[in-house]
Amino acid sequence: MADLELVPVPTRILTDKDNIVDIIEQYAKDKVGPNDVISVAESVVAITQGRITRPEDLKPGLLARVMCRFVPQKGSLSSVYGMQAAMNMEGEWRFFFAMVVGLLAKIVGKNGVFYELAGEQAALIDDVTGTMPPFDKHIVYGPKEPERVAQEIKERLGCYGATVADVNDLKRSRIVGTSDGLKPDLLARILIDNPFGNASQKTPIVIIKNYAQAQAQTLG
Amino acid sequence: MELLIGLLVIAGLIAVAIWLYIANQGDAEFEFQVNQATAFEVVDSNETAITLKCKVPFVNKGTQDGTMMDCYTRHLLPYEQYDGVIVNSRLELESAPRSDGYFEAIIIPKKTGQTIVITVQLTARHGDIRQALAQMVDMPIDIVYQVVARSDWYITKTRLVMKAADVVRAAGLVTGTR
Repeated sequence: MADLELVPVPTRILTDKDNIVDIIEQYAKDKVGPNDVISVAESVVAITQGRITRPEDLKPGLLARVMCRFVPQKGSLSSVYGMQAAMNMEGEWRFFFAMVVGLLAKIVGKNGVFYELAGEQAALIDDVTGTMPPFDKHIVYGPKEPERVAQEIKERLGCYGATVADVNDLKRSRIVGTSDGLKPDLLARILIDNPFGNASQKTPIVIIKNYAQAQAQTLG
Repeated sequence: MELLIGLLVIAGLIAVAIWLYIANQGDAEFEFQVNQATAFEVVDSNETAITLKCKVPFVNKGTQDGTMMDCYTRHLLPYEQYDGVIVNSRLELESAPRSDGYFEAIIIPKKTGQTIVITVQLTARHGDIRQALAQMVDMPIDIVYQVVARSDWYITKTRLVMKAADVVRAAGLVTGTR
C-alpha cells in the first residue's frame, strides 16, 4: 500500500485580494491525486477572506480590559485588543459569562470550560505576531465557513477531500473544517508535527498523499 | 434594604479585589538603553557617502510580556542647521537582520531584551563626504516604538545622539567639527 506522505506547497504571500480555492488550484493542481487530501492553514483562509483587524482600529471596553488580565500571557486573548476582537465576534456578555463559569470550573479542577462556552473565535483568533509579515501587525480571526471552503477545494481539485486546519509547533492540531467523509481525529494526528512550518503563510498548503488508504486502514 | 446594601458592599469588594489584582499584575515596560549603545562604526564608505552602524540594547523591565509592534528611527537634521549631507537611517533587530526597513512585530518576554542595530548613511549633498563631515553637527536620532501589551497601545521614543566628533573619528578624519 502507498505510504502516507506530507507535501508542503509554497506560495507567494496571500492577501484579501486572493481567492483561496483559485490559489490552491494554481499552486497544487499538478501535485494532487484522487487519493490525496489538501490541508490549508486556517489563518491564511481567514486572511484571504479579509477577516483581519488592527489594534489601532479597535476600541477596548471595560470588560475586555479586565478579562484579558485573567488569561495567561501566551494566549491570544491576553492582550486587550485580542480580547476585544474576539468579543466583537462572539458577544461581550457571552465572553463574560464564559469567563466567570470558566474561572469557577477551574477552581474545581476542570480546565477548558471557557473555550467551550466562549465560541470558536476564542480558540481560533491569532493576536499580533501570530502570522508573518505583512500581517504580523494584525489580529487574524478564524475563517468563515471552513466546511464550505473545504468542500469547494475538493470539488475544484477533484481530490479525496480537503481540510482547514489550525496547527502550531506546540503540538496543537485542530481541524476547523473538512469536506464530507473525512475523519477529523485522523487528520489532526497526521498534521500534529506542523508540516506547514513556522511560516505557515508561505507554505499554507500541505498535501496529504494517499490519505484515502490511511483512512480505509483505520476504518478496516 | 439591608440585602441591597449587602449586595453593593460585595460588588464593591469584588471591584477592589480585581483592581488590586490588576495593579499587582502590572504590564510590560520597555526601555532602550542608549547609555549602553556602542560607538558608531564605519561599515562602508566612498568619495560621496559613508555608512555607519551602532547597536542599542533594550529590555522589557516590566512584569508582563509585551509586543514591540513597530520600531523605527527618526533622524533630525534640518537643513537650517546643516545642509551638507543627506541622511538615511533605519534599524533592525540584531537577532533578525533585514535590510528592507520593516520591523516584524515581536513578543519580548518580561525581564528579557534584545538589541537593535541602527544604520545611518550620510551622503554629501555637494560631492565630497570628507569635506561635508568636516562641518557635520551632532544629530539626534529618535528611536520610535509602538508597544501592545495588557493595556492600550502606545507610541513613544528614546533619543540617541550621533555625535559629530564620533563620526569624524570613526571615519578616520582629523578635521575639527562645529
